[in-house]
Amino acid sequence: MTNSIALSEDKRDCLQEISNVAMGQAGDHLARLLDSFVVLSIPHVAILTPTEIAMAVQTVDEHNVSGVCQGFIGGGIAGEAMLLFNDTSFIDLAKLMNFEEELNESAERELLIDATNILVGALLRGIAEQLDIEFSFGPPAILGQHQELDKLLASDNVRWEHALVIEVNYKIEGYDVQCDLLMVITESSLTRLYGKLDYLLD
Amino acid sequence: MLGSSENDMMNDFRWIMDVVQNVDVGLVLLDRNYDIQLWNSFMQNHSALSAEDVIGKNLFDNFTEIDQKWFLRKVESIYLLKNSAFTTWEQRPYLFRFDNYRPITGKAEFMYQNSTFIPIQNLNGEISSICLIIYDVTEQAVNNIELGEANNKLEVISQTDGLTGLLNRKTWEDHLNNEFERQQRYNEDCTLVIFDIDHFKKVNDNYGHPAGDEVIRKTADVTRQCIRKTDIAGRYGGEEYVILLPHTHVDSAKILAERIRKKIESLIVCYEDFSINYTVSLGLSGFDKSLASPTAWIDSADQALYQSKEGGRNQFHIFDHSAK
Repeated sequence: MTNSIALSEDKRDCLQEISNVAMGQAGDHLARLLDSFVVLSIPHVAILTPTEIAMAVQTVDEHNVSGVCQGFIGGGIAGEAMLLFNDTSFIDLAKLMNFEEELNESAERELLIDATNILVGALLRGIAEQLDIEFSFGPPAILGQHQELDKLLASDNVRWEHALVIEVNYKIEGYDVQCDLLMVITESSLTRLYGKLDYLLD
Repeated sequence: MLGSSENDMMNDFRWIMDVVQNVDVGLVLLDRNYDIQLWNSFMQNHSALSAEDVIGKNLFDNFTEIDQKWFLRKVESIYLLKNSAFTTWEQRPYLFRFDNYRPITGKAEFMYQNSTFIPIQNLNGEISSICLIIYDVTEQAVNNIELGEANNKLEVISQTDGLTGLLNRKTWEDHLNNEFERQQRYNEDCTLVIFDIDHFKKVNDNYGHPAGDEVIRKTADVTRQCIRKTDIAGRYGGEEYVILLPHTHVDSAKILAERIRKKIESLIVCYEDFSINYTVSLGLSGFDKSLASPTAWIDSADQALYQSKEGGRNQFHIFDHSAK
């Protein structure tokens, strides 16, 4: 790992703090939208390799786990948010999202996409605000439908060596809905991101 | 006369409106009551409704293809969270029912759309309206759908034998291995049948290989007619066939074996000027705990087939596991 992308203690604390604040706001918004209490873990911040990320998301291929990823970019900072729903019941997710139609396969996909959009959007908005940037979001894509994520990350054509990962765990109280959110920021964005953090730290 | 800054503003406004009007994606602005505030050229041209036709009118009254309940749920989260929302053709093929942009050579009958919903803030920082961006993704959707269909076809092709349409040897053996595995746990009745065409070499020598192929095909047709949906038939070799009969005791399998034998015996295959009459010999082996492997199971059925050949052909034999 070159020095320019190494994550110093200060910067990691700063990012963790930013994520904490953003999650507080996100939790508040989500609680109002979903009318239920959202339990959020302490965010975990680290620089990881593709293989390490692949290991973190490997559970997607097992049963009962669905994954969705969504690209974001803004202010020279780009990445993907990956949301992994573990132990999540679609029936509960539908209840939570006020989804009253029949739960067929396409309805389940739509639920995943909508839930991702809400959970990712709520968090990234808070982070962007503190960094004084604005993110554009691509449409969420369901993993495993057209691609298996661990294969994508493990393959030889991965063009990067490291990425910054912020990991957060969501749990919705009273529902069988639990998910991991990985916010993966590309190596090439790190100089800009660190510049923003230096500004906040000074 | 306008002041120069006002002039600049008017100019800015004009080119912004030009861009909004002419960009080749659909742009629609909706106020809090879901009344349409902006309807750009893309929307006008594809809907055949001018801006005057729809501006100030309610979205749901004019576009009944939009599921109102779904749409409201989507948009209300935008007002609260101030973030964008999306829908892709894979969830819903379209938001507005438009014809394909390529009405002559296009394969889809309608335009597949991805849509993005973005919140628009007023000067007070409150969200006052929602902008819909409609992307035409017909090309991508059609390609994706066709790719999926092609993959399904390839999967079928890779599993079947080209001449007979029965499973090929590899795929049938996969089924056999699975069934053998299952038997280790459940030990239910299950019978394996193997049979081949008697004196097939003579058919080829006397009538030619194309006639031989026709005999192989017809034998497969008879097999298909005789088996049940749950039975698994495959072409094992040149003129050799195999059938796996799950949940079937060898005594019941006898009925099937006899039916195939009789049908083939009375069958006349016509090829060009030839009328070909032929017979088959069969060997049966019910699953038995003494069988060490799927191969051993096939071998046992094969031994029964050998007995049929020895016994004069056009008959079946059952392998006796207790006699080992």
